Amino acid sequence: MLDGILLGLSTALQWQNLLYVIAGCFVGTFIGMLPGLGPITAIALMIPITYSIDPSSGMILMAGVYYGAIFGGSTSSILINAPGVAGTVASSFDGYPLAKQGMAGKALAIAAWASFTGGTIGALLLMLAAPTLAKVSLSFQSADYVALMCLGLTAIAAFSNKGTFLKAMMMTVFGLTLSSVGIDPSSGTERFTFGNTDLLDGISFLLIAMSTFALAEALRNVLKPEVKQANSEQPMQIGSIRLSKAEVKEISPAIGRSSILGFIIGVLPGAGATIASFMAYAAERNLAPKALQEKFGKGALRGLAAPESANNAACTGSFVPLLTLGIPGSGTTAIMLGALIAYGIQPGPMLMQDNPDVFWAVIISMYLGNIVLLILNLPLIPYLARVLIMPKAILTMMILFFSLIGVYLVSFNTFDLFMMIGFALIALILRLLAFPMAPLLLGFILGDMIESNFRRAMMTSDGSLSIFWDKPLTLGIMLLAIVVLAMPLLSFLRLRKTVM
Amino acid sequence: MLNRDTLGALIFLAFFTAYAVFAWQIPLLPFEEMDAVNSASIPKVYAVLGLIFSLLALLAQAIKRQHSSGAGWPDINRRSIGQTAILLLLMWVYTALLEPIGFLLATSAFLSAGFFIMGERRWRVLLLASVPVVVVFWLIMTKLLGIYLVPGELWS
Repeated sequence: MLDGILLGLSTALQWQNLLYVIAGCFVGTFIGMLPGLGPITAIALMIPITYSIDPSSGMILMAGVYYGAIFGGSTSSILINAPGVAGTVASSFDGYPLAKQGMAGKALAIAAWASFTGGTIGALLLMLAAPTLAKVSLSFQSADYVALMCLGLTAIAAFSNKGTFLKAMMMTVFGLTLSSVGIDPSSGTERFTFGNTDLLDGISFLLIAMSTFALAEALRNVLKPEVKQANSEQPMQIGSIRLSKAEVKEISPAIGRSSILGFIIGVLPGAGATIASFMAYAAERNLAPKALQEKFGKGALRGLAAPESANNAACTGSFVPLLTLGIPGSGTTAIMLGALIAYGIQPGPMLMQDNPDVFWAVIISMYLGNIVLLILNLPLIPYLARVLIMPKAILTMMILFFSLIGVYLVSFNTFDLFMMIGFALIALILRLLAFPMAPLLLGFILGDMIESNFRRAMMTSDGSLSIFWDKPLTLGIMLLAIVVLAMPLLSFLRLRKTVM
Repeated sequence: MLNRDTLGALIFLAFFTAYAVFAWQIPLLPFEEMDAVNSASIPKVYAVLGLIFSLLALLAQAIKRQHSSGAGWPDINRRSIGQTAILLLLMWVYTALLEPIGFLLATSAFLSAGFFIMGERRWRVLLLASVPVVVVFWLIMTKLLGIYLVPGELWS
C-alpha cells in the first residue's frame, strides 16, 4: 500500500496535476455556489476538457471539481439559504441562522474545517478499504457483477426521496432502455436505430449527462426560478472566519463521529451524501444535551459541523464501490465511471493492477482537494461569493453555450446537438413532473455493463439462470437487491390495504 | 383533472409500450435464434420491467386519489414558459447555423440573442458579454489547443 501511496503522491504532486486540482476546486466551488447547479453539472461541464488530457489528470481535475462543488453548495446554503446540491440542505438548517446572526464567516469556517476533517478521515478510510475490497472483488464473477449492479440500481431508487420510489425505478429503466440503442456489441445487430447511421454507435453518455443535468437545470431555473438570488444592492457581511478554542472543542467530537458515519453511508450503493448529512444531523441532535437540542435549527455549531463532515466523508466513501467494483453508487460517481470508460479504463478490481497511477492519484488528489479548499478557497470566500450576484442572463447563456459546444467538440456532429436539445426538453418536463434524474444516468451507464456481464454469465452456465442462486455470494447480493426493491413495494401494498 | 404523478406514469406507460413493440421486432441473426440470450432478450426484459413499474405507479395514483388529489402542478408563469420555449428554439437555430455560418458568427449571435431573451436590453452589455467571450474562446481552442472549430461552410 505504501508503494501505491507514493505512486499516487508522485502523480498528484506533478505541477500540472496540482494546477488541475486547484483549478478544479475553484471551478467546482464557483458552479456549486450557483443555486440549482450541483456537482454532476459541474463535472459534466468539465468532461470535454478532460478528454484532451491524460486519464490521471482528468480524474484529478474531476475530483477537485467534485469537492469544490460540495463546498460551493455549502456556501450558498449558509449565505443565502439556497443549497446548490441536495447534500448540503442539512447544512442550511443551522448555517443560515448563523449567517443571519452576523456569523457567516464563522459558519463558513466551520463548514470548511468540518469538510476538511470529513474528507481527510474519508480519504484515510478509503486508503484502507479500497485495496482490501479490490483484492476480495478479484474473485467476483460475471453473475456477481450482475447481482451487484441490480443492487446498485434498486438501492439508488429505494434511497430516493420519500414517495418517489416508483418514479426513480421508471427513470432507471428509462436509462437502461437508452443504453440499448445502437449496434449490439455481441452480435452486431442494430437496435432502435430506425435506419439512422448517427445512432449506430449508440447515444453518448456525455450527451445524456449534459442534457439531463446542465441544460435541463439551467432551463428549469429560467422556467421556475424558485431559487433565491442574493441582493446585489446589499453587500454580503461575512465577518470573522476565526474559531475560538471553546468552539473547536465543541465541534470536534461531532466532526469525528459524523465523518465515520458519513463514510460508511457513502460506501453503500445509492445512499450518498444527502442521506449521510441528514443522518449525521439527526444523530448529533439526539446525542446533544437537552439544552443544546433546542438550539438545533437556530444556529447550533454542532448542527452545522455534523452534516458538513458527513457529506464530505460520504463523497469519499462513494469512491470505494467505483474504484474497487466498477459500480457507481451515486449520480456523481456514475458520471465519473462514464468518463473513465471513455478514456478506455475499466474501473473495477483490475484497476489497481492495470492503472495504479489512476487509482492512487484519485485517492491522493481527494486529500489535496481538501487542503486546497481549506487554504485557498476559504480566505477567498468573500470574493467567490460575488458569483451569487452574477446576472442570471449571463449565467444561463454561458451554461447553455458550454454544454452545447462541449458535446460538439467531442463528436463534431450537429446531430448530437439536436438530440441533446430534445433530451433537455424531455428532462425538463420530467423534472417538472418531479422525476429524479440521477437514476436515469446510473441506469444508462450500467446498462451496457449489465448486458455484457449477464450474457457472459449465461454463457458460462449454458443458459441456466441458476447461476444467480448457485453461489452463496451471488444469492446473498441478489436477495439483498430483492429486499431493497421489496421494501417500498411492501409499504405501497400496506397503503393499498389500509385504503381498501 | 390529471395530477402530475398520473401524467408522468402515463407518459412512461406509453414510452415503454412503444419500446416493447420495437423490442419484439429486433431482427435476430440466424445463429442467435437458438441462443439463450440474444440481442432482443435484454431489451425485452427492460420493456417488461418498465411496463410493470409504470402500471404500479398508475395503480398507486388510483389508490392515492381516494385520499387526496395528489401532487399539484408547479406554479409557472406564462412569461417563463415563453422564455424557455424561445431559448430551446434558439439552441435549435444555433445548432442548425453552426456549420454553415461558422463558430464565431453563430456563437456571437446565439449569446447576444440569448441575453436579449433573458431580459438584457443594454446593447453594450449584449455585445461585450458575447463577442469578446467568443473570440477569446475561439483563440484558446484554435491557436492554443489546436482544436478545429468550424469556420463556416458558406465562406470557405
